[in-house]
Amino acid sequence: MNWRNVLRLISVDVKSGRLVRGQRLRKYRERRIFQYLLYGGACVLGLIIGIGAGTFYAGVADPTLKAQFHQGALYLFLSFPSLVLISSLVFTMMSQIQRMGVKSSIQPPYWLPITWEEHTLASTLANIMGIPSIFLILLSSAIATVSIYLEQVPLAILTIFTLLPSAFLASTTTEIFRVLLARLIGAVYKSTGKAAIWVRFLGTMVFLVVFYIVWFSFTSGTGSIVLIQAVAGAQEAVWFVPYVWLGMVLAAFASGMLAQTLIFTLASLLFILILFYGAVKLNTRFGLYEAPAITVSRGVYAPKVGFLGKLGFSSLEAAVIKKDFKAFTRRRELMFVFIMPLVVILMPLMQYAGILGGPVPPEASRFLFALIVLAPAAMMAIMLGFMIIGSEGGSVWLFFSSPINARSLVKCKYAFVIILSFVVMSICSVIGILVTRPSPDIAIALLIESILLIFALGSVSLGAGIRGADFTEVPRPRMVRPLTVLVYGLLCLVFASAIFSPLFLHAVTMAYIPIPLPLPKMALSIAVVISAVIALVVTFVFYKIALKNAEQFLVKAEI
Amino acid sequence: MVSSSEATVKLREVAKRYEDIVAVDYIDLDVKYGEILGILGPNGSGKTTTLKMILGLIKPDSGSVNVLGINTKDDPVAVKRQVGYVPETPRLYEFLTGLEYLDFIADIYGLSVSEKEARIKEYLVALELEGREGDMISSYSQGMKQKTALISAFLHKPKLLLLDEPLSGLDPRSARIVKDLLRKLTAQGITTIMSTHILEIAQAMCDRIAIMYEGKLLALGTMKELRQKARLPGSDLEDIFLKLTGTEDIRDVVEALLR
Repeated sequence: MNWRNVLRLISVDVKSGRLVRGQRLRKYRERRIFQYLLYGGACVLGLIIGIGAGTFYAGVADPTLKAQFHQGALYLFLSFPSLVLISSLVFTMMSQIQRMGVKSSIQPPYWLPITWEEHTLASTLANIMGIPSIFLILLSSAIATVSIYLEQVPLAILTIFTLLPSAFLASTTTEIFRVLLARLIGAVYKSTGKAAIWVRFLGTMVFLVVFYIVWFSFTSGTGSIVLIQAVAGAQEAVWFVPYVWLGMVLAAFASGMLAQTLIFTLASLLFILILFYGAVKLNTRFGLYEAPAITVSRGVYAPKVGFLGKLGFSSLEAAVIKKDFKAFTRRRELMFVFIMPLVVILMPLMQYAGILGGPVPPEASRFLFALIVLAPAAMMAIMLGFMIIGSEGGSVWLFFSSPINARSLVKCKYAFVIILSFVVMSICSVIGILVTRPSPDIAIALLIESILLIFALGSVSLGAGIRGADFTEVPRPRMVRPLTVLVYGLLCLVFASAIFSPLFLHAVTMAYIPIPLPLPKMALSIAVVISAVIALVVTFVFYKIALKNAEQFLVKAEI
Repeated sequence: MVSSSEATVKLREVAKRYEDIVAVDYIDLDVKYGEILGILGPNGSGKTTTLKMILGLIKPDSGSVNVLGINTKDDPVAVKRQVGYVPETPRLYEFLTGLEYLDFIADIYGLSVSEKEARIKEYLVALELEGREGDMISSYSQGMKQKTALISAFLHKPKLLLLDEPLSGLDPRSARIVKDLLRKLTAQGITTIMSTHILEIAQAMCDRIAIMYEGKLLALGTMKELRQKARLPGSDLEDIFLKLTGTEDIRDVVEALLR
């Protein structure tokens, strides 16, 4: 193993983070002072936490309470390797997901005199740079400081020594997972043939749902405390699982069993070595594997007379809508548009399922139904409107060079925003009705409200999306300028509030929301009609603005 | 609509600057009906900018661009309807299959179902993309992407073809097919303007050649006319090009590199 090569590769791998951050460097040497400051800051913060916890412990006068704290702290020490393992797994996998979204991937430089061992080691170590290592430094610093007060310095030193191997174990597991996943995805594409597109789309959605459920479960409410308790308690019960052996080293040491400490230490090192060489073998075999081409269609080409044509769209407009539909189900970076509705709908559903705490009170169900029906569809309309033009990226030359006019451009793009938002609204409505069981009048009113929001916010964001389109694709598609999103996002919020305000007033006057207002009762139907008038005005005005923006966009096309 | 005696493309006093850089410096150019005009020039000489101005993708700072009797400023969409364009590095929708992409292009230009079916099939066979047309473009090689871009420019039978390095990345057989196809299209009255760095291709294919240098049109004419202008009788296009652009001191450059 050439260690210089490993160090150089780590340096390159760490710099690949620029792709994610979208950094542009002009100088030959970059200043790393900020990075070192972060590590230094983590060390100081750990020190402060340690001193704070230690002082608190020292100040406890009650001997029973002090013993309880001491025991609790020891318990925490023993669970640290497993907690670091779990957190590093999450962080390294998140980093891999982020990189998947970046256009340029980091290919191993296989043509250079570098071995797969060097490459795998560099990749594994580079993965734990950044947030995982900052977390390790913070933890180590805190453990070292607090151990002085607890008079547990030897155990603290051993704990600190187990943290880095734990993070390495997690990173190696992620490396194995990444290589296997790439190979597995390739095999799935090959075997599913034409269905590969949908397998990929649904697979991504299922993965995101599972990821967010796990994430929310751990980070919401008492989830993280439950996790620590579970880890500390379960560690000894599952001693045969190699991933907890580092924790077992500490448990054995704390109990004074030196022989077991030695056995678990050696076993842990052996396991890390086996896992690492497993990753090397997998990289050697599949490191340069490229997924086979997705074959979407085979056989005789038979063009169809489209359904969209029957709805009054010209062949040009229908072609763009169909193309956009394919883009959002095939381009990974665009699939992520479905995350927001998923996240919004997951929280209330998890609440109902009792994952995030106690049962939902009946008075909250009306609010949760409104959240499920209104928020995802409205958010979808806003996001799609913002990004639908910018998502063309470098291929936008085709729009500029083809005979498309502003009217057709706005019509087909707006139609796409509306159609996809309607699909989201329909799915969410069915789920919302099944879960929260609202009264028919509330259900209908909120459905109409959702439709109004989609039309109005879709036109506002589309106009903004055309004006603020950003076709930059490297390091990743930008699609829309951040300032446009900020300004028009706020405007969307204002319009959404205005459109929804009559229903809010209805809820207040009917005392569904406990705000005492000296107003006569407002009927639900009247509230919906006022809402519709506001939404129609917003839609009309901003559709015109979108048309004007599109005219300028096509005229000013300088590519 | 232009008659066969009129010029398909007329550029008058056309200029374009990018801040301090003069991309195109007041050029006049007439491209005849049904001819193949090759635009040559070193990197940064203004070839691509000229092509883009003809299509209306770039607005000239001054002068007028007239294509098929239409001023590109007045009705750019009408011009685009009759032009087939292949950019230097065509960015295609990689998430579509080749077939889906061509179907999309055919719809953009409003081809009927029967027309697009027949033409797409013909071109797929001719440029040997048959068998891979159902694969996503992301898996195509550079040459296959270029072929797809070329088909998309030919598909709607344009009256004017604007091709920026059309043969880049093509295998010899496909390059030959494209060259023959362009010749046949010329016979049918389709005008082609192509920019290229490959001088052999320009010499073999083009009826007239325009040599651009630092935004200026240095020379325009047939091979015979260019030889006369360069006072290099019997020489090939490479020598003419190097003499006219003043870059003939190649030997000194090579020797300096070897030192």
